[in-house]
Amino acid sequence: MNSNDITHTLSTYVTTQILKQPKRILKGDEPLISSGLIDSFHLVDLGLFIEDKFGVRIEDSELNADTFDTLDQLVVLIQSRQ
Amino acid sequence: MGQARSSDEVTVIVSVFAMLPTAAPTASHRFAALLHVVHVAAALLSSVRHAALFVTSVLAVYLLQPATPIAHLDFWLPSASLLLVVVVWCATQPLRLEAMRETLVTAGLIAGLVLGIGALGITTQLCCVVTRMPPPNILVVAAAVAGGVLTCILVAIVFAGHPARTTWLVFALIALLVAVKLNWPISGADAPQAETASPAPPTFATIQWLGFSYIAFRLIHALRERALGKLPVMSLREFMTYVVFFPAIIAGPIDRVERFLKDLRAPFIFNMSDLVEGGRRLLIGVFKKFVIADALAIIALNDALAVQTQPGLWAWVLLYAYAFRIFFDFSGYTDMAIGLGRLFGIKLPENFNRPYLKPNLTQFWNSWHMTLAQWFRTYYFNPLTRALRMRNIAPPLIIFVTQTTTMLLIGLWHGLTWNFALWGVWHALGLFMHSRWSEFARARFGAQDASKLQWVTHLGGVVLTFHFVAFGWVWFALSNVETSLTFFRRLFGMP
Repeated sequence: MNSNDITHTLSTYVTTQILKQPKRILKGDEPLISSGLIDSFHLVDLGLFIEDKFGVRIEDSELNADTFDTLDQLVVLIQSRQ
Repeated sequence: MGQARSSDEVTVIVSVFAMLPTAAPTASHRFAALLHVVHVAAALLSSVRHAALFVTSVLAVYLLQPATPIAHLDFWLPSASLLLVVVVWCATQPLRLEAMRETLVTAGLIAGLVLGIGALGITTQLCCVVTRMPPPNILVVAAAVAGGVLTCILVAIVFAGHPARTTWLVFALIALLVAVKLNWPISGADAPQAETASPAPPTFATIQWLGFSYIAFRLIHALRERALGKLPVMSLREFMTYVVFFPAIIAGPIDRVERFLKDLRAPFIFNMSDLVEGGRRLLIGVFKKFVIADALAIIALNDALAVQTQPGLWAWVLLYAYAFRIFFDFSGYTDMAIGLGRLFGIKLPENFNRPYLKPNLTQFWNSWHMTLAQWFRTYYFNPLTRALRMRNIAPPLIIFVTQTTTMLLIGLWHGLTWNFALWGVWHALGLFMHSRWSEFARARFGAQDASKLQWVTHLGGVVLTFHFVAFGWVWFALSNVETSLTFFRRLFGMP
């Protein structure tokens, strides 16, 4: 799966399952955690989704804005572990 | 590792001095020699810096410990902090024969410092240079040091190759933390009271163990990372410096060990930007703590003022003064810690990010005491949420349970009182309400609809969030529920 596909998959999950705004378009560099768009509970959900979909484990200590805050950063993190 | 680095330094020094008389006077040779000299100087400076940080931090554990009503406790508590650090290091680090010499030197230095401080009690002039009160008998201190050494050896043997056993130490530290936060009876003889004709009745007080809340959380962090197989290999000197790093021992922040080690192991070179930035943060911190916060303290909410104040405007002044006092006090300490760390080449994590300007409570908790909140997310909230998500439980119920228990624990971390518990529950309810509102609003209002009135909703959110937090400080600032309820009545004009 290339980076565009990963971005699309993640973006669709965030807009439909977390934000409940399927029509919303997320930019790759839009802050997700520091902006409060994704709260702590949904961050864990996102981590579980990534684990399930991409087979990549994101540790509990990494679920924060320091590790990734945007879709672009998350895609790089996933690819680096695949 | 330290031993290897030392031998590298020796090799480089020898090569530089061997090179100088025979080197051809070409520009490239001179440049190479200069690079060697810079490398050696940086390595030596790094070693000196690390040694200075280690010794200063160990001494600071004693120097900053306040006086205690129980005799010699101001000596035993810092000593216990050091012992706990060594015990956890022994339980989490593999046996490395190549680093044995450095470990023995560090352990000997720690034991020597403890014995040295204990020996000061022999003299009358120097007995209270490091501790507030004269240290205990030196023979007792020597026996305790010997006991500590035996304990560490035993721990190293029992825990070697058994990372899962570190959970025992996590529970032991939590139990110790609870014991420290409890109110203990102090007998009339121990209590610092004026002389009276009859013995003073027993009073109750918590144990004033300097920095223990932070020390315990750094140790639990190391133990959990070891259990997960993520803890880096490090020397005893590095681990001790991390746990009792003197700028961060009083009020944090709670750094992660691998991040701290990255800075500690990096070559230390004085540079102007670190000096300027470190000095700037230090001065800002001093100003925030000793000028603004201490001035606000005069009119900030406390038990006495809460009872004395009349209903109405003055009650609000007390509340606002407290809200800003606690922010400037705490963030001032953090600024000082970050500034001091920066001067020594350690970039401690930020702990505050304009918390009173956040439009909702979720963002407030992403910007207030950030390292503590992150610690609780990593070791409590996230694992619990993961575990509950694997079961067929409704998400709102999971959010309610995880947020309530997390905030309750954060409240009780400050002290085992009903008021701290209520402060935690207050924030848990606020976070739950915000999460439900977000869920409701997102499904009904699109991003574009929201943007038309974005600045109005943002401003309204900031004001609402600030006041929710400020009302929460009533529980935090006052010592009991009755006084808190009285003050709430006075805020709203009732006697």
